[in-house]
Amino acid sequence: MGGLWSYFRGLLGAREMRILILGLDGAGKTTILYRLQVGEVVTTIPTIGFNVEQVQYKNLKFQVWDLGGQTSIRPYWRCYYSNTDAIIYVVDSADKERIGISKEELFHMLREEELSDAILVVLANKQDMAGCMTVAEVHQALGLEALKNRTFQIFKTSATKGEGLDQAMDWLANALQNKK
Amino acid sequence: MVQKDEYCVLILGLDNAGKTTYLEAAKTKLTKNYKGIHASKITTTVGLNIGKIEITGVRLTFWDLGGQTELQSLWDKYYAESHAIIYIVDSNDRDRIDESKETFDKMIANENLQGIPLLVLANKQDIPECMGVREVKPIFNKNAHMIGKRDCMVMPVSALTGEGVDEGIHWLVDCVKRNSLMRPPKSNDNS
Repeated sequence: MGGLWSYFRGLLGAREMRILILGLDGAGKTTILYRLQVGEVVTTIPTIGFNVEQVQYKNLKFQVWDLGGQTSIRPYWRCYYSNTDAIIYVVDSADKERIGISKEELFHMLREEELSDAILVVLANKQDMAGCMTVAEVHQALGLEALKNRTFQIFKTSATKGEGLDQAMDWLANALQNKK
Repeated sequence: MVQKDEYCVLILGLDNAGKTTYLEAAKTKLTKNYKGIHASKITTTVGLNIGKIEITGVRLTFWDLGGQTELQSLWDKYYAESHAIIYIVDSNDRDRIDESKETFDKMIANENLQGIPLLVLANKQDIPECMGVREVKPIFNKNAHMIGKRDCMVMPVSALTGEGVDEGIHWLVDCVKRNSLMRPPKSNDNS
């Protein structure tokens, strides 16, 4: 029976993966979403609410949700957690002042039961800015060594220049296929 | 039902030594119905890969970390909770073997790793012109005084073909069990 079912599922194509893009306001979430979808930099305004798009990467289909990052709307992130396959957590590597808040929000989110199986990708974004934190510095500032039960990966990206996103998506696509 | 003891194994080594490929090989060999990530799709790790296997009555959790120089500063955050170290060496990279040994020495000098079993794997034995275990072993056994009383073994392995993977893990499991008075298995109260 199981064999038959997976045969039919194979015919229908794999389920669309659900991905959330989260992070503080101004980290670059919306720019990343549209970079992934249309491959261009679009002019963005602060997101109030969310943007959702279907993104095709190689032969995988993702449903990508970009949720607004301002303080007042962060509590609503949790309404979107169920059935999430992966989280793309975006950090502004040039914003040393707020990296502590970013860490708190990240750990607050990861404590949620609904996200216990979600794969985590951290994007150390804005690597084009002078004086920004390196990957190791972002790792340390976010206290990622505390995550001992979850596969994760950090990538340095510049959403405006389009750098690093391909590597991140390649890794994520592999990790998601492997998880099935 | 008796809960199985859980031990944590940290996989370290320079970048491009084959740590993630090794982890995939171990998962593939020791997990039923697991098809590993194809070696060609494995990329540089900046972060953490996790593997869990069950073997001879215990559960092993593997932590595979990035090996690039700037990421080595993150390794020691994991030492206090590790029950064993697997240190992977690229036996085909003669230019960096000294760097690999220096990094190894720095690691074993950390007091949180005192008494913790060390498995050194001379990886990439599938490449004909690589250094054999007979060449790698003396290099890593040079500072016997630093290794001290802990178990330390150098073994040949090919993460790519999977050859030698089982042997090493079986040796390691015996060691962590023996060492469990000193470093008891992870308590599972919160899992």
